[in-house]
Amino acid sequence: MLSLRIAWRFLRSAPVQSVLIIAGIAVGISAQIFVGSLIQSLQGSLVDQTIGSAPQVTIQALEEGDPVTYDDRMAEVIENDDRVEPGSIAKIRTVSSLYSDGTDSAPLNLIGSTIAELNGIYDVSNRIEDGEASLRSDEILVGTDFAEKFGLEVGDDIRLTFQNGNPSTFSVAGIFDLGAAAFNERQAFVNPDVPASLLGWSSNEYSTIDSQLNEPFASAEVAADWRRELAGVEVVEWQAQNADLLTALQSQSSSSYLIQTFVLVAVALGIASTLAISAVQKTRQIGILKAMGMADGASGRIFLYQALLLGGIGSLSGVVLATLFIWLFSFVPVSFAVVMQPWFVLLSASIGVLVALASSIIPIRGTSKLDPIEVIQNG
Amino acid sequence: MADLLVRATALDKIYGEGEAATHALRGVTFDFEEGEFASIVGQSGSGKSTLLNLLGILDTPTSGTVTYRGQDISALPKPKRAKLRGELVGFVFQFHYLLPEFSVFENVAMPSFITGRLTQEEIRRRAFETLGLLGLEGLESKNANQLSGGQKQRVAIARALMNRPALVLADEPTGNLDTVNTNLVYDLFRKINAETGTAFLIVTHDRGVAQRTDRILEVTDGELVQDMRNGYGPAAR
Repeated sequence: MLSLRIAWRFLRSAPVQSVLIIAGIAVGISAQIFVGSLIQSLQGSLVDQTIGSAPQVTIQALEEGDPVTYDDRMAEVIENDDRVEPGSIAKIRTVSSLYSDGTDSAPLNLIGSTIAELNGIYDVSNRIEDGEASLRSDEILVGTDFAEKFGLEVGDDIRLTFQNGNPSTFSVAGIFDLGAAAFNERQAFVNPDVPASLLGWSSNEYSTIDSQLNEPFASAEVAADWRRELAGVEVVEWQAQNADLLTALQSQSSSSYLIQTFVLVAVALGIASTLAISAVQKTRQIGILKAMGMADGASGRIFLYQALLLGGIGSLSGVVLATLFIWLFSFVPVSFAVVMQPWFVLLSASIGVLVALASSIIPIRGTSKLDPIEVIQNG
Repeated sequence: MADLLVRATALDKIYGEGEAATHALRGVTFDFEEGEFASIVGQSGSGKSTLLNLLGILDTPTSGTVTYRGQDISALPKPKRAKLRGELVGFVFQFHYLLPEFSVFENVAMPSFITGRLTQEEIRRRAFETLGLLGLEGLESKNANQLSGGQKQRVAIARALMNRPALVLADEPTGNLDTVNTNLVYDLFRKINAETGTAFLIVTHDRGVAQRTDRILEVTDGELVQDMRNGYGPAAR
């Protein structure tokens, strides 16, 4: 541990130099953590807004309007797939309707399923703004935008006309907000028997079988597997339908990685130059230590430990600084919160230390090669 | 007769190759006993520092051998030579070469920290004892930069003695000191030599200093031209 002790003394003997480089590493690592966390959180928020309350893999009939039969085979494939988020399979029947309040009218798509299954996909119970999440046979849940447009309140009766021309009256049990105006205005939830009787479908026939996954980005793989195992149905997944969004996310990630890489390169150059200067400044001390019997390895380790100390203290300070930045960012009015993932903080700090260690290679090699005679004879 | 400490046999040292080759030492042969108090004299560039480097296990001869207590150290790998150097040899240079980042105590204890053979308590005890021997009591916690020139050189001597080496090699140890401090250092060398039995080999171009040692080795143009027992001080062995 003598090398560590000497490393620490060398750093303390040039406090300004040490503090400056630690500050440099701290700023670099904090930028790395902040930019990385910002992009991750922004992307998480975008993905969540896009698919958090929407099916990620959907099974539907080959022909539009035909039902999908939810037989034992399909149940086995879907329900036994551990990539599917538990409780996130919803068997949906949809039917179109037209709402009219006498002066104005609007199309309303009715999504029929049980509250339990709808919660698995849409998290309906938690999205109710007014009233309650209840779907008895004559109850309906409408969106905030639809309710606002037609001045509807909980308890109001609404009259809908279906494609066959038959009207039916529903009581507004609750008003939901799923975060998307288009959904809130055009979609409504009803009891699963309502579309079944209108469409004349049997109890195991549905419009779509919707599911959410533990890992949304596994959707393409899951869909491909299900296509192989289930004949006569179409399996669609969110990534294929949101190619533009994915391209945007990937571009964003790439630019973020680029920024982070440049930051790390700058940090590495900073540490490398500081250590190189330190190695030159301490040539005399290293030479005399070697003359006293210190081995090449032990003298090289002095700079390894210096790098480790600088990298460790710098990275830790960087984490503290990043926490401060993210706390300050919480006061900026944006639609998402920046969250520091522990694994990313750990990764960034580890990269900081590794970069510091890599930067010490040149001074370590120079120190190992240093011949004490040079120092002694040159005074 | 005292035991043999160092035997130098036909030492040659050539720097460079071909026409640019410099023959720094030619066939230097001599024996050096435990507890001797000797000097190497010679002009600048005579090869005395090269000889010191070979005897100090800092360098290896181009040909010839150096044995310490019967062990040939010329062909040993670098890490082994570093280890032996730490254990057998103490250096005192013209410049003190103290580590300014460390206290007087730490500077003195450093050779023992490096060899790692003693416990912390033993190191502490021995460092204080050595500082006492050199009249440096009370300066243990001071920084090396806070001392006078003479004190610094005495701390450097204490450091050289810390591992109780068999041989102290002193390269122009008083070259940077005034007459008072030169005499002080010389007397200390004598005292330590007498009290601890540590052998001393002092490289100097100052004949006055050399005259006060028991044996004078004179190097000229890389050759050992004279190996003289000196009548001053204790009888030549």
